[in-house]
Amino acid sequence: MTVLTMPAQPAAQDTPALRPLPWHRMAWVTWRQHRATLISVAAVFAALATFLLIAGADIHHNYAVLLACHDGCGALNAHFNETDWHLANGVNIMMDGGVAFIGAFVGAPLLAREIETGTYRYAWTQAFGRERWTIAKLVLLGTTIAVLAWALSQVFDWFFQPMVPQEDMTILTATVFDTHGIVFAFWALAAFTIGAFAGMLVRRIVPAMAITLVAYLALSLVAWDLRKYYPVAMVASIPNTPSTTTGTGGPIPFSMNAPWVLNTWNSGTTNWEKYIPVSRFWPMQLIESGWLLVLSAALVAATAWLVHRRAV
Amino acid sequence: MTVLTTSAQPAAADTGAALRPVPWRRMVWVTWRQHRATLLSVPAVLGVVAIFLLLTGLWVHQNYAALIACHPARADACQDLRRTFNNTDWTMGNVLMILVNVVPALLGAFAGAPVLARELETGTFRFTWTQGMGRARHTAARLVLLAIPVTAAAYAFSLVFAWFLGPFVSEQGMSVFNATVFETRGISFAAWTLVAFAIGAFLGMLIRKIIPAMAVTLGAYVALAVATAAVLREHYPVSAFWPMQSFEGGWLLVLSAVLIAATVWLVRHRAA
Repeated sequence: MTVLTMPAQPAAQDTPALRPLPWHRMAWVTWRQHRATLISVAAVFAALATFLLIAGADIHHNYAVLLACHDGCGALNAHFNETDWHLANGVNIMMDGGVAFIGAFVGAPLLAREIETGTYRYAWTQAFGRERWTIAKLVLLGTTIAVLAWALSQVFDWFFQPMVPQEDMTILTATVFDTHGIVFAFWALAAFTIGAFAGMLVRRIVPAMAITLVAYLALSLVAWDLRKYYPVAMVASIPNTPSTTTGTGGPIPFSMNAPWVLNTWNSGTTNWEKYIPVSRFWPMQLIESGWLLVLSAALVAATAWLVHRRAV
Repeated sequence: MTVLTTSAQPAAADTGAALRPVPWRRMVWVTWRQHRATLLSVPAVLGVVAIFLLLTGLWVHQNYAALIACHPARADACQDLRRTFNNTDWTMGNVLMILVNVVPALLGAFAGAPVLARELETGTFRFTWTQGMGRARHTAARLVLLAIPVTAAAYAFSLVFAWFLGPFVSEQGMSVFNATVFETRGISFAAWTLVAFAIGAFLGMLIRKIIPAMAVTLGAYVALAVATAAVLREHYPVSAFWPMQSFEGGWLLVLSAVLIAATVWLVRHRAA
């Protein structure tokens, strides 16, 4: 019995039969259909988190020893910068890039599989209506993935924490900014919605996966460039010190609180510099999360529109 | 008309020709027809990235030349050049280096895994494996004919990348034996691509569903690459660059051959 059947004489209390199916029914449907995906993503994230916790304990220990050391620290330093840094750097860049795989493996097959295998003929002719079905699925899965990604990024932030001061980076360095705060979750969400949109556009699984990877890579590169234009920069004049060296003749040690200098110029006798101070980290995170959220919402809407328009 | 029909009275001239198996070279056209998309897109994508590396690499090489030509090295201006190189140029170079290390895994997952997994998941194996060319020969020919162009494209790409990374290896104090550098030059990159393809094909036949096969291929490749970098490479009986490359290329080639043979064996013994 679908919601379109009505008795010959509709009584007042029968009108509920004309209401569309409630949205919460999609929660069970989404779970049922995507159990394997959701469990695998959670399992992979959990395995990664376990690795980060174990390796991170080691790194924190090494770093503590390094900080406590006052004499003859050369060997410790070298070892930390070699072994620990290579591992942390590798994991950092893998996580940065790994988000693209969420889009490719979870997002792209979502609709592409339905269409390529023909199961859309069943899924889209249920009482729920194809556009609502699409929106409900994308929102539910997207939210779950974003939450899982956020949890993973918190573990990673702890893991990576000694590297920022030790390796002359700040929290605004591109690869560090990507994996700290809340931005990582929104990148995962964006990757997922890019994948879903590509899947509905191309309607074949493997090409959609490849396109998702490329599109995500392009978007990350654009975002890295875009960050210097966020409206959080400050301009100040640099004090005119005679030289930038300390008394012993070496360069000024790089501080993890050093601002991100965008531009320096001089007018007349003053040197000016445009920079973003480290304190602007959270405003920048919110700006980036904001536009990623808007992009994701736009892609969800575009995907639903494609589902609506295409007879397939 | 298949090669199994024979005339009622086989003439001497007929017996030989009608009962011979379909020649191997027919598989060249079949592989091309069936895998045009892969055979065109792998070189195309690698080509686009190579062009990007060439353009960016020219800029990097220019900066590096300016850096080493700057005298005296301790002067502020030269230190500034060095700092810019290490920040701007190297940030990008570092990311590219790590991403290029992932390329063989991606090639294996996208080119290797769907070859058999797609046939099985969509059911087209019922058509493909009942042709005049038996299923084992068909699979063997297809995998080898796909592996060769993909490996060749990977080798060409690794030449471009090795050139690109050159200045960074000297400037960032890395050595060609660092895992992330070693695997992207010489014959290592091509060999890792080949083994990734073979892993993909094997797992595709084992798992019989496309997306799980691709995911497990990525995982298996990462496990093998990490195990080699962390443990296996130290136990090579040689220690100079090219002997190590040859040794690694050799055992990866043998592993690929074993995996492809295992895939063909699975194809023969599974009713699917």
